[in-house]
Amino acid sequence: MENLLLEVRGVHKQFGAVTALDNVNFQVQRGSIHGLLGENGAGKTTLMNILYGLYAPDSGEIFLEGKKITIKSPADGIAHGIGMVHQVSTLVGEFNAVENILLGSGKARWKLPLSEERERILTLARDIGFDVPLDRKVKELSAGLKQKIEILRALRRGINLLILDEPTTSLVESEFRSLLQSLKKLTGRGMTVIFITHKIKEVLEACDSATVLRHGQFQGRLEKDQMTMEGLVKLMFMEKNIAVTENALPIINLGTSPAFGEPILELRNVTTRPAAGKKGRGLRDVSFSVRRGEIVGVAAISGNGEKDMAELLFKSSRIQSGDVLVEGKSILHKSTLEVFAMGISYTPEDRIQEGILNDGSLVENLLLGHQGESRFYSPLGTINWKTLRDSTQEAIREFSVATPDTELQIRRLSGGNIQKVILGRAFASQPKVLVTHNPTSGVDIATVEFIFNKLVQIRNAGGAILWIHEDLDELMLLCDRIATLHEGQLTGIFERKDFDKYRLGLAMIGGAA
Amino acid sequence: MEFISTFANQMIVYATIYTLASLGIVITGRTGIFNVAAEGIMLSAASFGFMAAFFSGSWAVGFLVGALMGAAFGLILAFLHEQFRVNQFILSICLVILGSGLADMGYKVIMGIRLDAPKAPHTPILSVPLLSNIPILRALFSANAIVWLMYLLTFGAWWFFYRTQWGLETRAIGENPRSADVAGIPVRRIRYTATIVGAAIIGLAGAYIPLVITETYTPDISAGRGFMSIGIAIFASWKPQRAILGGLLFSAIEVLSFQLQMLSSPIPYQFFMMLPFFAVIAIMILSKKTIEYPASIGKPYYRE
Amino acid sequence: MKTSSVKLRETGRQVLIYLGALGIAFAVLALIVALMGFDVLKAFGYLLSASFKSLFGFQETIKKTIPLIFTTYAFAIPFMIKFFNIGGWGQMMMGGTIAAVVGLSLAPFGLPLGVLLPLVIIAGVLAGGLYGTAAGALKARWDINPIISTIMLNFVAQYFLNFIATAKPFKDPAEGYPITIPLPPQATLGFIGGFPVSFTFALAAIAFMIFFLNYTRSGYEIRAVGYNQMAAETYGIPFSRTILTSFFLGGALAGLGGTLEIVNIQGKLIEGFATTSGAQYGIFGILTCLIVQGNPIGIPFAAFFMSVLLVGADSLQRTMQIPVELVFLAQGIIVLLIVSFREFMNAKKK
Repeated sequence: MENLLLEVRGVHKQFGAVTALDNVNFQVQRGSIHGLLGENGAGKTTLMNILYGLYAPDSGEIFLEGKKITIKSPADGIAHGIGMVHQVSTLVGEFNAVENILLGSGKARWKLPLSEERERILTLARDIGFDVPLDRKVKELSAGLKQKIEILRALRRGINLLILDEPTTSLVESEFRSLLQSLKKLTGRGMTVIFITHKIKEVLEACDSATVLRHGQFQGRLEKDQMTMEGLVKLMFMEKNIAVTENALPIINLGTSPAFGEPILELRNVTTRPAAGKKGRGLRDVSFSVRRGEIVGVAAISGNGEKDMAELLFKSSRIQSGDVLVEGKSILHKSTLEVFAMGISYTPEDRIQEGILNDGSLVENLLLGHQGESRFYSPLGTINWKTLRDSTQEAIREFSVATPDTELQIRRLSGGNIQKVILGRAFASQPKVLVTHNPTSGVDIATVEFIFNKLVQIRNAGGAILWIHEDLDELMLLCDRIATLHEGQLTGIFERKDFDKYRLGLAMIGGAA
Repeated sequence: MEFISTFANQMIVYATIYTLASLGIVITGRTGIFNVAAEGIMLSAASFGFMAAFFSGSWAVGFLVGALMGAAFGLILAFLHEQFRVNQFILSICLVILGSGLADMGYKVIMGIRLDAPKAPHTPILSVPLLSNIPILRALFSANAIVWLMYLLTFGAWWFFYRTQWGLETRAIGENPRSADVAGIPVRRIRYTATIVGAAIIGLAGAYIPLVITETYTPDISAGRGFMSIGIAIFASWKPQRAILGGLLFSAIEVLSFQLQMLSSPIPYQFFMMLPFFAVIAIMILSKKTIEYPASIGKPYYRE
Repeated sequence: MKTSSVKLRETGRQVLIYLGALGIAFAVLALIVALMGFDVLKAFGYLLSASFKSLFGFQETIKKTIPLIFTTYAFAIPFMIKFFNIGGWGQMMMGGTIAAVVGLSLAPFGLPLGVLLPLVIIAGVLAGGLYGTAAGALKARWDINPIISTIMLNFVAQYFLNFIATAKPFKDPAEGYPITIPLPPQATLGFIGGFPVSFTFALAAIAFMIFFLNYTRSGYEIRAVGYNQMAAETYGIPFSRTILTSFFLGGALAGLGGTLEIVNIQGKLIEGFATTSGAQYGIFGILTCLIVQGNPIGIPFAAFFMSVLLVGADSLQRTMQIPVELVFLAQGIIVLLIVSFREFMNAKKK
């Protein structure tokens, strides 16, 4: 292959018993946008982290412009002209854009040239069409802006290979197009870009060539004219007997849904103060309802109120005005357990941080959220572990969790199985409404199919689901209606027949519906 | 007038202990390591620093040994934290215990039992000419060598953190070590340095007590000041310029509580002794809104 | 499912950790003893056998183990939710002080043993518990780090104890030190076969801890918060309630330990009753807890081990004039090494 910038040969990486990368080969041509495609857990990020110097490979060689190199740390990576923008922002929230870009730039250690740097960044940003506020603390900025700052920082280092890890996670259609334009400008000047994603559509649109990984193994490398949807799907998922849509999502049989019942969950002019942490935004005057037998999706870009919506029912103290009714009864001033007792269940978006007792056993995890229910206690008030174990067995069976026993520590399960346990736990008390936030993030496609089928099953049996998610493709697949949030306000409610990705995306960034 | 002058003088003398100790904690804390071992470090530095000064006859040697003692503790803390990944707080608590045990045992073993309290060599007073003759300003312009060092270190720390690239990078580690690592900053190396340097400064604070204030060594000589300095570092929002304010504040409280004891009063003296400790808690409550922490302080960081 | 070979390897690792740490610490100890010019073998002989050579030695060991079990649990409970209760010493002193105040104040009323003693004990337990809750509340309400607040409260308790022990109605005029007049016999516990009756309270405390943590809702909530605070809060376990409960329990146990010391061993309030062999029971409690990483079942064993060393330290000082601080230093080194080795082994396992 001519014009090779980067070649990786035989890279192997083991994390304990898990093989993340198995003898992977990888080639990128100069001046191209090369896609690295694979589903969650395929090894894409691991491979790039090795290139960037965060991980060391167990074996394998890296060649840059024909010369063998070793990269032992990010400083090495940067020295070789390799820059990476990670999926999760690696900016320091307390600093502004200029300070962040200055970090690690190496020269003049005993001085701090803030104003000169500011000028240089301004010029560079204008050059590639970025509009970024330079003086505000980064933690106040949106994900899209943070991404631009990270790209600017990489460019200031004088890199010639830019790696972007799942850059479109927090972008809508229009923002994706504008990013693509900027990237094309850069490659036009000789920059090379590696674009990591699990979305086939993006690869087809943006990339000049692509490599597909699956389970840490190299599956194939295609040029633009060789790439087709079916071909890429086959490479990504090969033997799995899962039919997929063009978005690499499982095809689900929606069955017959019952006629919608009365509203079981109602939001009336709800205004809340923001949730703690960087995702908190606060809802402003939001009203809609969820009926029995309905899946209502809530689509929002991260930081626009989705977390507040997810936690709304459980942190009722945040409600400043308005009300939320479950079967006509208000949730105001009710504690989390009291709301659970009203028939609501919840699965949070970050299962590791918010969902499970990591070092606890499965049985111990099942009690979480149900510690107020008398059926798990003996008449004397002591915990009845036997009943708990039985319930755990039931949940494991219902949700096909692959595990040898209930006393196992939950963290030993795979991400997909943990998500199933959390869902199973949510159903241990036959809830009337399920509130679920990003249930399929970081989960393999077989589990995604299982979860989707389960959601449909619940709906068809008359349950109600409030599904908060960032990914429009997934929402559009299953929801009966989708509500969009922007800056905490409800910017639209769309019926299934009116689903249109462009209009939904527009509503998510505050445009007219 | 005289009272104010003496009060100011005493306040600055005592403030040096608090400021130096909290500066040390601040410097280390800015890289994400919460060093709560100050009390133990101060005790060992006091004990060995005093003995070094006593046997060598030089105050400077005493302070040097005190600083080295502190640096040694800092090295242990950094090493066990970075290489063995032991929890910072557990480590610090163990070092407090080690520090106090070493201090008392070392003193007993080396000095033995003496009938008269051994005296340390004098630390020189340095005065700015002319200005130190003005009565009110004397406290400010005429002080012992270590007080001047305290001013220097405070200013130096502030300049380093807010006016240099090194300082920006160091602060980044305390806020978000992953961000710093990803940007190519040598996280581990800076953490080691900051912990050792910070602990050395705490050692200076420890040696200061027997060498300048009491001029002899007694067990438990730090009397909780090391712990209070942790409160000062928090109150200072981990900024050197606020640490010196905190040091002055706490020293004023300590000096005040002494004075209050002297006045014959129906309140038993023990309650005045309790004052500084309540003050720490009260000050932390009152200044809660203005307190910030480096976002990732207390948390370990590993790459994989 | 753990196979027996995996279990064996893990046990082997644990043993290696303890023996390794002990070995190195004792080597350091031996070195210092030798440098001081003492007979190393003789010193170790006194150190390790003082508890077992005579009945008296064994009784002394048990007398130290009892309060140590209490102060260890005092640290261990908040430790489960990742907080450091350094206030075991202060809570123990508060418990003993208030117990003495109640006992001495009610003495003139001539209440029988069955009434006065429970009152005194309850007062001490509540005093310790509330003192602990103060630190918990400071964290819950104003986010004040418990390490600092408990240490500050320790000093306050120390001065308060001094105040009570030197105050007019309580102080014993015949004694030069801060010591109160003796408690009335109806407010004291006695000895059986030379062993203090408070031994039974220690056993009850162990049983309580195991039962509480595994079979009560409160205990589950504490463990859940210890596993993952955010997940616990997401699912209805309020963090503030857990902090208050754990600090109350920790303080109450330390308070009980202090009360029993006063009521059983000392019979009066003495300044320094919460200290032994060179340092405070609170500190030794922390060390003991760290040895077994807070495991409620392991704690009594670790406490006994520490007490053996403490009795040995006393013996060393008495017979060979080796300062007790040396053993204290060795204990600090032992714990530091155990903790470090443990983390090192854990890291290797992954």
